[in-house]
Amino acid sequence: MSEETKAPQGTEEAPAPIDPRVEKATAFLETVKGKITARFGEGVIEEALLAKFQPTFVLKKEHYLEVVTFLKDEPSLAFIYPEAMAGTDYMDKGYLEVYAYIHSFVMDADIAVKVRTERENASVPSLASLFPGYNWEEREIFDLLGINFEGHPDMRRIMNTDEWNGHPLRKDYVVQD
Amino acid sequence: MGEIRTEELLMNIGPQHPSTHGVLRVIVKVDGEIIREAEPVVGYLHRGTEKLAEDLQYTQIIPYTDRLDYLASMANNHALVTAVEKAMDLEIPERAEHLRVIVVELQRLVSHLVFLGTYLLDLGAMSPFLYAFANRERVVDLFNRLCGARLTYNYMRVGGVKWDTPDGWLEDARAFVPHMRSELKMLHDLVSGNEIFLNRVKGIGKYDTATALGLGLSGINLRCTGLEWDLRKNKPYSIYDRFDFNVITGKNGDCYDRYICHMDEIVESLKIVEQALEAIPEGPVMGKVPKILRVPAGEYYHAIEGVRGELGVYIVSEGKDKPYRLKFRRPSFINLQVLPQLLVGQSMSNLIAILGAVDIVLGEVDA
Repeated sequence: MSEETKAPQGTEEAPAPIDPRVEKATAFLETVKGKITARFGEGVIEEALLAKFQPTFVLKKEHYLEVVTFLKDEPSLAFIYPEAMAGTDYMDKGYLEVYAYIHSFVMDADIAVKVRTERENASVPSLASLFPGYNWEEREIFDLLGINFEGHPDMRRIMNTDEWNGHPLRKDYVVQD
Repeated sequence: MGEIRTEELLMNIGPQHPSTHGVLRVIVKVDGEIIREAEPVVGYLHRGTEKLAEDLQYTQIIPYTDRLDYLASMANNHALVTAVEKAMDLEIPERAEHLRVIVVELQRLVSHLVFLGTYLLDLGAMSPFLYAFANRERVVDLFNRLCGARLTYNYMRVGGVKWDTPDGWLEDARAFVPHMRSELKMLHDLVSGNEIFLNRVKGIGKYDTATALGLGLSGINLRCTGLEWDLRKNKPYSIYDRFDFNVITGKNGDCYDRYICHMDEIVESLKIVEQALEAIPEGPVMGKVPKILRVPAGEYYHAIEGVRGELGVYIVSEGKDKPYRLKFRRPSFINLQVLPQLLVGQSMSNLIAILGAVDIVLGEVDA
């Protein structure tokens, strides 16, 4: 493939004034982070970052469920609308990740919450009891990535047949003929 | 008179069943006429689109999105290209933005026409189906002239759209708007006051906003409960903030409200199409984009208001020309989760009325 087309007009890294979107997202990130640490202490958050303009929290697996429960039940946060969920296999980094995207009507904002698990015997707490909408999403992730969701009411494959071998979205999956 | 002895019976609806419009299996446990338990079984159409996408460049993924919700390919195209554009901070020419809005809204409208036709057909009314499809045909013809395909359009590109309009296309699209308005009135006369229809759908399949939110429902399935939630208004993308239109909501969250919401959204889509046709400027339809698209490393989630609800794309990129992981948030898949709880306690004859009103497309459920 030709290499000559390398985004000629691309974004130049000038010391531009701070983007208002970044400012707003940072403020939002700090607010939520403050509320979480006030309740649970610093230890529950592995990482709090902006992914583009999206405030994102990487939570420790042991505290994942209680923090998300808090995010949902705390009236001033009220992240009650489960929008999306995705799983990713970071094989080179040695872990699997579950990404949950939740909306709050009170704050009029979205939050991304992530949790990581090792690739062998991968397992994370289920959010299906909090958000019934994540029931099938978690079954899909279980099917395609092989992450077990502890406390899920119905942990079965959903896309592939029950006899299927392996989990197709794992990076080391060998496609069968 | 003594109690009539009944026995529970396990029954399979589908996978091959005309009213599922695809391959969906519902296992129902019936006690006489009453459904005691229902479990949808999906996956019969699973093609592994997300796995395939990991091996494709972004432009190559676009035709795969056509085959998700195959009644709304334009909207699927739009979801993917806007997600990539947002991640790469690309500018889109004005004409392309207008063309996108026009085709997506026309797509929404014809998809709702398919809903109307097939829903009525499931409930035993033959003629609305024919009227609905005759009108759908006009839009499909327009799309055919625009991009050479009737169903899987592969029309949009990252940076714009593939083809400009052929001669006379905009005029014909303009002429379609008043035509559709009068046809819609006719469809209302034909269906909306029909007593048999009303008896089949009023008060059936009811749920409230809290249930809908917990289940993550979106689109008409959420709005029919009365919540004003439309990503075109609430998280504006593309150029939707320039157009004047209303978010249609229901009141009771039953099958009738979902039907009416579909009908009223056609009116709103026509409004948007009309305004966009009025405002469309001359100019290029493709922006300046690099030949090889490399999304900067990171993760991105972007959603649009698809025809059936929130159509999201989650991209994990390592800065290469192919996504490391691509996930589609498919509204039909998530909306279908509401089905079991709507069916329990209903009679068998309501099953089709309830399933039809959830308005799923199996290509999108299974991806």
